[in-house]
Amino acid sequence: MAEMQNSNPTILNAADLPTRLQPTTRKSEYVGIFTSALPLAPVDFESALSSDSEDDNLLEEPIDEQEIYDLISSISDPEHPISLGELAVVSLPDIAIKPTLPDVPDSPLQTVTVLITPTITHCSLATVIGLGVRVRLEQSLPSRFRMDVRIKEGTHSTGDEVNKQLADKERVAAALENGALMGVIAKMMETCH
Amino acid sequence: MSALQTFMLVVDHDKEEAKRIAEGIAHDVETKKTTLIDTVQSLGEYINDEDPILRGKAISYLTAIIQALSPKYLSRQQIQVLTTFFCDRIEDGGAVDGLQALQGLDRFNKFLATQVAQALFSNFQDLQSRSQTQRFHVYQLLNDLMSNHRGAMRDMGDISLLGVVDIMTGEKDPRNLMIVFSILKVVMVEWDISNHVETLFDSVYSYFPITFRPPPNDPYGITAQDLKGRLQECISSTRHFAPHAIPALLDKLDSTSPNVKKDALGTLIACIHSYDPDTVSKFSITIWEVLKFEILNAQEEFLSEMSLEALQAITQRLSEGVTEVSQQLPLAKYLQPITKECNEQLQEPQNKQAKPAQSILSCVSAGSPVSFNLVVQTVVPPIFTLYQEADGIVKQRALLETLNVLFEAATTVFGQWTTRGGEVTIENPLLEFKDQFSDLFGQALMGAAKEEVSFRVTALKGFLRLSTLRDFFQENEIGLFVQYLDEILLKEESVGRNDLKKEAIAALAEISKHKPRLIVDITFPAFVATLPEEDEGSHALYLPTLETLAQISVERDIFETLFRRLFSKLSILLQKEQLRSVAYPRAILTTLLYVMQQRSMEQDQSVNLYFDKVVVGLCRDVAASASGRAKNRILNDPTVLDTLGRLCNLLVRSVSIQKQEQVAENVYSLFSAAEDFVPIPFTQTTNADQERTIIISTYLLAGISKDCGNKIPHTNPDMSGLLLNLVHRAVSSTEPATHQAYLRHLALLVNKFLSKQDVTIAEKLFDSLLQSQDTESKNLNPATIRTIFWLSKALILRLAPSTTHILTSLLALLSSPVQQTSATAAQGFSIILGEDDILSATNGATIRLLCRQRLFTTVIPLISSRIREVNIAGTDDSATAPKALEHIKPAHLTALAGILSTIPTALVMPELPTLLPLLLQSLDLQTADSVAVRTATLDTLAVIIRDNGVVVIDKCGHVQSLVTRLLKTTATNIGPGAVNSPRLRADALKCLNLLATHQVPGAAANTRAPPGISPLLPVKTQVLRSLRAVLDDPKRDVRKAAVDARAAWLRGVDDAPEEEE
Repeated sequence: MAEMQNSNPTILNAADLPTRLQPTTRKSEYVGIFTSALPLAPVDFESALSSDSEDDNLLEEPIDEQEIYDLISSISDPEHPISLGELAVVSLPDIAIKPTLPDVPDSPLQTVTVLITPTITHCSLATVIGLGVRVRLEQSLPSRFRMDVRIKEGTHSTGDEVNKQLADKERVAAALENGALMGVIAKMMETCH
Repeated sequence: MSALQTFMLVVDHDKEEAKRIAEGIAHDVETKKTTLIDTVQSLGEYINDEDPILRGKAISYLTAIIQALSPKYLSRQQIQVLTTFFCDRIEDGGAVDGLQALQGLDRFNKFLATQVAQALFSNFQDLQSRSQTQRFHVYQLLNDLMSNHRGAMRDMGDISLLGVVDIMTGEKDPRNLMIVFSILKVVMVEWDISNHVETLFDSVYSYFPITFRPPPNDPYGITAQDLKGRLQECISSTRHFAPHAIPALLDKLDSTSPNVKKDALGTLIACIHSYDPDTVSKFSITIWEVLKFEILNAQEEFLSEMSLEALQAITQRLSEGVTEVSQQLPLAKYLQPITKECNEQLQEPQNKQAKPAQSILSCVSAGSPVSFNLVVQTVVPPIFTLYQEADGIVKQRALLETLNVLFEAATTVFGQWTTRGGEVTIENPLLEFKDQFSDLFGQALMGAAKEEVSFRVTALKGFLRLSTLRDFFQENEIGLFVQYLDEILLKEESVGRNDLKKEAIAALAEISKHKPRLIVDITFPAFVATLPEEDEGSHALYLPTLETLAQISVERDIFETLFRRLFSKLSILLQKEQLRSVAYPRAILTTLLYVMQQRSMEQDQSVNLYFDKVVVGLCRDVAASASGRAKNRILNDPTVLDTLGRLCNLLVRSVSIQKQEQVAENVYSLFSAAEDFVPIPFTQTTNADQERTIIISTYLLAGISKDCGNKIPHTNPDMSGLLLNLVHRAVSSTEPATHQAYLRHLALLVNKFLSKQDVTIAEKLFDSLLQSQDTESKNLNPATIRTIFWLSKALILRLAPSTTHILTSLLALLSSPVQQTSATAAQGFSIILGEDDILSATNGATIRLLCRQRLFTTVIPLISSRIREVNIAGTDDSATAPKALEHIKPAHLTALAGILSTIPTALVMPELPTLLPLLLQSLDLQTADSVAVRTATLDTLAVIIRDNGVVVIDKCGHVQSLVTRLLKTTATNIGPGAVNSPRLRADALKCLNLLATHQVPGAAANTRAPPGISPLLPVKTQVLRSLRAVLDDPKRDVRKAAVDARAAWLRGVDDAPEEEE
């Protein structure tokens, strides 16, 4: 491997990263340490009452920024075996979901914007990271989503150049044909869970 | 023909015959029919022949005879003559073996050993040009000389040293090397090698690193690891090698191959352990300079771990015999550059390099008390300074973490508060900073903003470490920590995932183990004071308090206090005239139950006290309550009775057999002497309150030993009357809790207490219940069906003689024309082998090992053939197919799912070809009431795939049909009446994920598919396309599962096997 460009970046603690809090316990059902001591009064035969009730099943949970964050924050950095989330390369406030066509209210099309903050301003791997994020999103989001992955303004010396490359469909497609590059990206995504 | 000639003819192709001939001659020699001299002379015409093969055979003849002679036969002189004879002809086949036989004899002496060795060294200069077997024999002879005549060999000095090295140089065969290395190791350790260190070192080091890979089906079973081990022993055998070995091994760390580096590090560690401390000291700093890079820029986790191990090993070697801390020690000199480097890295403790620096500090400081002192002296003061100057909480937290690492090392070195003996003479250097630590961590824990959870958790962990450290904090200092924890738990709102509170409870639980007084004196009063007198509203604020109390009360003294406090709360509640809800008393009982489950109550000396208060006392109260004499209805509530029952059950199991006999006698009367309480069985006049006492009776019955069976009322002369009465009550009871209790009570009696000869009573009862169905409508009411199944469960678990009859009768119910009967029976199959809290092994139920297998092998073929019949009937004349029978197939599939959910997959696997089509048909069900069946089916499939891989499904030829059905189950809009619940969709996706990650049986996730085309490849496109739509599922959990499954297929199912690069 070539000499590392930034061998000693700052690392956020995994416990401090934004996560989705578990929804507060449904209804009055008690869940705690006593659950193990006390299985609910045994119920045979009536078990057909399945645990997920109708109401809950109908409740829709739209794709939100946290979900996008969860998809990409576990990608590893190509230089360190550390996640993009821990390196603060991606962060929750830098993710936005907006309707692609605000003038057409019924359109299901949505655009996800992800701003990337490289660990140092001259990081030559910024493009690879951007591509990795893009590939992960393309594999994981439904087709009505458009991706817009960019370097956050002022965080990279050649940000505009990198952005041009990431936005150019042809060049992205060509890059994805490159076996060595895809190998790197596949390795980055091995840690996605 | 002479014996010699015959021998020479057969020796090549008939070893047995040759051996027999030699034994014959040996016998003749021993019985003086012939002499050894004659035998040797008979060789005359062959041993000078030009053909080496002929010569070899002749010598082998002599060797074979010597081997056959009894060990005491040959005289000293004869041995001498023979040795000389063999040595002269040592290059001829068989001579080496002859010498080997001779040197093992008692009369073989030192002089002869030297002679043989000389002959070997001077005649086998060209050894490497000979065959592997020949070389092997030579090495074996040498090895035997080394073990039997070591003194003689050692006295030869340089001659044997160089001789051995010369002979083995160039050896490549692994079997031979195994011997060669062990011969060389003896030379290295026991000879004076000072003149030939380099020669000897080179002779073995040229083999490093070993790259040998045993051929497939290697008959000799020598692994690369065996060779590596022997070689490592040689290299690390003597300190004289150090100047050669250590630089060479460190050089090998420049290799690009992780395996080479691993071997080099392993050998280096062996050298550190084996060389003397002075030698290690000489190279210690050099080693650090090299290993530093392996740790700070870790290439592979295991390389950094091994490097740390090496650093720690050096620390320990240099600490040997050191009793005083001083900067002049070689150890101090070694640690100086290390602590300097770590201090530099820790300037920015939140950065990536700080982690390896912490690991380094951890391993060198944990090496010995002296090294811990030296490290603490140089590392801790700067941390305090950095902490004060830190510009952010992130940095401060990283510094606390570094301190925690040192605290952990301190625990390794000095022990925990429980550690006894092995007094350390050197003082713990952390004591000097004790007050500073207390202030710093207390401030961090209590003074930081409430949202800084991870910061506070770090502080909490550090404080706990210090509290548990041996001979460190005083009682009152730990008490302060306990107060902090109480405050966090009682006064603070929960933040985020509640991590801080969880850690606080865990810390209190830890402290409770060794400082119970602190918990009883400080925590208990504070917590109990917050418990209300009665349930004041809908918010059960008492629950978190009870939970905490439960988790810190496992220790005996604390539990006793907890029991007293809670029991008195409960007694007060039982006296209240009016009561809003039973949740509070029930929670109190649950708390006691939880703690008792965590402890071993049999060993508690106070168990009889608890027994008297709970089992005798509260059961009497239950009886009183049932007769309407209580102030309120707490003890009439079925959920309270259930919890109380479990508590009684646990206590009954923990007391003596005498007490259990009392319980058996009182199982229905509940210790009540009151006249107005009517025990349950055989009474005519009972109301619902009285009937409910059967719940308690059942738990009591479950707890007593089998041997108390004869003390149970109404069981003389046999149980038939009691059982019949219980069946009637079970069938006719209307309250679910009471009904369940009757069923279990019945099952307990039949399974656990009914004697072998009386089993027929229960079997007859089973038949009569089945016949109670209405002859015309064929209808059985659900309560009766449940009773039938519980009775069956009791009988099948003990493998009663009629097990097969019972199972076929139960299956017949599935084909009942009455839809309700069939459906209720179908659900019953999960009961038979299902886990139950009452009819359990813990409660002494009779559960035979083979009952699962018996049930499975009996039922599966019957279900399979019945479904086939139904399928054929359906296709044959679909127009006239009786609509009435449509429910039969789902009923059978439901029964199947019920059975599978209670059977280990190992049993399922042999039946997979029969089973898989049934499982696929289960997935074809679509309606809402089949959700449970389909969920169970997906669970079974998931286990099958996880344990056995795709291969088993491919073997049955069902990959395509399985994948298609799984994909269908992931869809949300599938037409009217069809339902795929979110759980179902997620489970199906999990199965798809498992298919892609478990293409090899038993392989862990993420392993590559084996070479060859994956059976999943034909469906890859279909799966990826379908899953793209599932990515838009309305449910988040389903989307997550879809993303994971899709990634697994993209990654794991390759178009072509990967080319080796």
